[in-house]
Amino acid sequence: MFGKKKMGLILSGVLSLSLLAGCGNGGNAATATGEAKDTKAGAATGTTEISLYTGGSLNVKELWETLIKDFEAKNDHVKVKLVYLPAGTGGASTLDRLIAAKKSGQTDTDIDLYEGSLDDITKGVGEKLWETVDTAKVPNLANVDETYLKQVNNQAIPYRASSVVLAYNSAKVATPPKTADELYTWIRQHPGKFAYNDPSTGGSGSSFVNTVIYNFLPPEAMNSDDPANMKKWDQGFSLLKELGPSMYQKGVYPKKNQGTLDILASEEVDMVPAWSDMALEQLAKGLLPDTVKLTQIDPAFTGGPSYLMVPSLSSKKEATQEFLNFVLTPEAQTVVINKMYGYPGIKWSLMPSELQEKFNSVSSGYRSFNSGELQQEIYKRWQSEVAGG
Amino acid sequence: MSSSSKRGMLGLALVIPSFLILLVVVIIPILYAVKESLIDQHGTGYGLANYIRLFTEPAMRKNIIYTINVTLVSTALTLVISYALAIYLRFGKGFVVKWIGRLYFVPMFVPGVIATYAIITMYGNHGWAARLLLPLGIETIPRIIYDYKGLVLANLWFNIPFATMLLSSALASIPNAVVESARDAGASTLQLFGRFILPLSYKTMWVAVTFIFMGIMGSFTAPFLIGANSPQVLGVAMQQVFSSYQETHTASAMAVFMFLLCSFMGYFYIRTMVNDADAS
Repeated sequence: MFGKKKMGLILSGVLSLSLLAGCGNGGNAATATGEAKDTKAGAATGTTEISLYTGGSLNVKELWETLIKDFEAKNDHVKVKLVYLPAGTGGASTLDRLIAAKKSGQTDTDIDLYEGSLDDITKGVGEKLWETVDTAKVPNLANVDETYLKQVNNQAIPYRASSVVLAYNSAKVATPPKTADELYTWIRQHPGKFAYNDPSTGGSGSSFVNTVIYNFLPPEAMNSDDPANMKKWDQGFSLLKELGPSMYQKGVYPKKNQGTLDILASEEVDMVPAWSDMALEQLAKGLLPDTVKLTQIDPAFTGGPSYLMVPSLSSKKEATQEFLNFVLTPEAQTVVINKMYGYPGIKWSLMPSELQEKFNSVSSGYRSFNSGELQQEIYKRWQSEVAGG
Repeated sequence: MSSSSKRGMLGLALVIPSFLILLVVVIIPILYAVKESLIDQHGTGYGLANYIRLFTEPAMRKNIIYTINVTLVSTALTLVISYALAIYLRFGKGFVVKWIGRLYFVPMFVPGVIATYAIITMYGNHGWAARLLLPLGIETIPRIIYDYKGLVLANLWFNIPFATMLLSSALASIPNAVVESARDAGASTLQLFGRFILPLSYKTMWVAVTFIFMGIMGSFTAPFLIGANSPQVLGVAMQQVFSSYQETHTASAMAVFMFLLCSFMGYFYIRTMVNDADAS
């Protein structure tokens, strides 16, 4: 109810502003009528409304609600409708809808902006589903690190990111491992004090597993779905098997990303791989004891951005670009950090210096990993060899 | 048209709506699952490949044996405990009985996820149980969570109240006169149970066993959160095959297999009911 009331206030504000604009512009009669007509039309239809489709956890929804409110407070002619599909309920169907619309030759959909993963982008590329974004249309795109844009051929905007890091209890671990090999040595020397979650149930566990396996392969293999790479997994898997008995309770792998954070909080283990945004949020809320610290190892764990895509079938691209331009401003990105504890989508150097300092321990970067369908083969082999072995 | 065939038509017409609902929400999905399960994982054609995989892959076979083991042990334990509890509540007297009678079904109102987390915080490695035993000098408690024991414990927690409730209502319908006259005739407690109480509550016992068995067979939340990583119960393994590996056809085969296990139980249940109806 409150939201509606507020919306009404904003709308009436827009209306009166546009009326004022119409009145004040009396110098040139011809343009004045033209402009008055435009604003009148805008006011009557309630300005341009774009819809943003997003999924993920509740924090994603809260982030967008805040960003949209900030955006609408500054903009009087674009309204953003948020369509939130909680994780696991229909994110995939949005993409299916877009593909179906394209295939059936429709010229317009009501999906003007779609938040998704690298996977979604690749699925849509073949169908020419996404509009190419460039600085001519979205000037603030210049704030984004070019390498991340090139990775997706400018088909999407990486607007926020997070990565997997090591979360450790500094009261028990004085000097955390700095490299992957140091980490494995630490695990062997402290049996039962390290845990990673079942990789098929959460990204932090699968990042640990992928890192162990692909550290034995050339770096370019991390972003290849070539099945030939499967033959090179043996070394990684035998290392995982060898580490098994040194893991929490001699080889218990809790479920989901939260499963390992829970036993870190109850001090059953001293070190776990965790998503930077999850760990930082729980530290801020006091769900993790403040002795827990985060660090990145070398070579880094995997991580990655969340992307915004503009469907090429959208008919309201200009309004959407205006909103995108706002999302890439340092103000909006500050909201991303404060609300989501994520990394900004734009360059760190453009962010306020106190935020740069605060995120110093985790912002040293991440590697991206995308092996397509091979990921499922990793899960299967892990289940039978590491969990069942 | 004769009046009897008219009545027959009416009967049929009355049955049709419920049959249609059954057809749409139960029978067609089952047939669809059977069809899906017969399609080869690579989508090349029909065959038994998914079922062969189910019974030849060592990990999957371990999962099946584990599921059947957990289900049978949990069902048997639940039945024994609930029966004892129900008899105690029916024939016992006094303050304790009254309070147990008021409280035993409380776990039924606790949602599964919350109960599962309660079990984790209670019996976990650094849980309440461990902390309470620490002053007594007991430093390590056996591993309950992420283990077979924890799973059986969770199953007991979820099923004892329901089974006890069913059995209590059956025992309540046994007249006191029967029990008292048998006692007067010199029947021992064991005889009393074997000759009177068990036969009189036998049918309800089958209802309880059927529901416990099916409930445990298809359970997911507790095994997912407190079960071991391997072997897994079929419900968890099926979810993994379906959404992590995206092998929908194999998942269908697992679903059909679970359905067969449950219908085996259902067969015994229905046979008992039919025999009973014939006898009376």
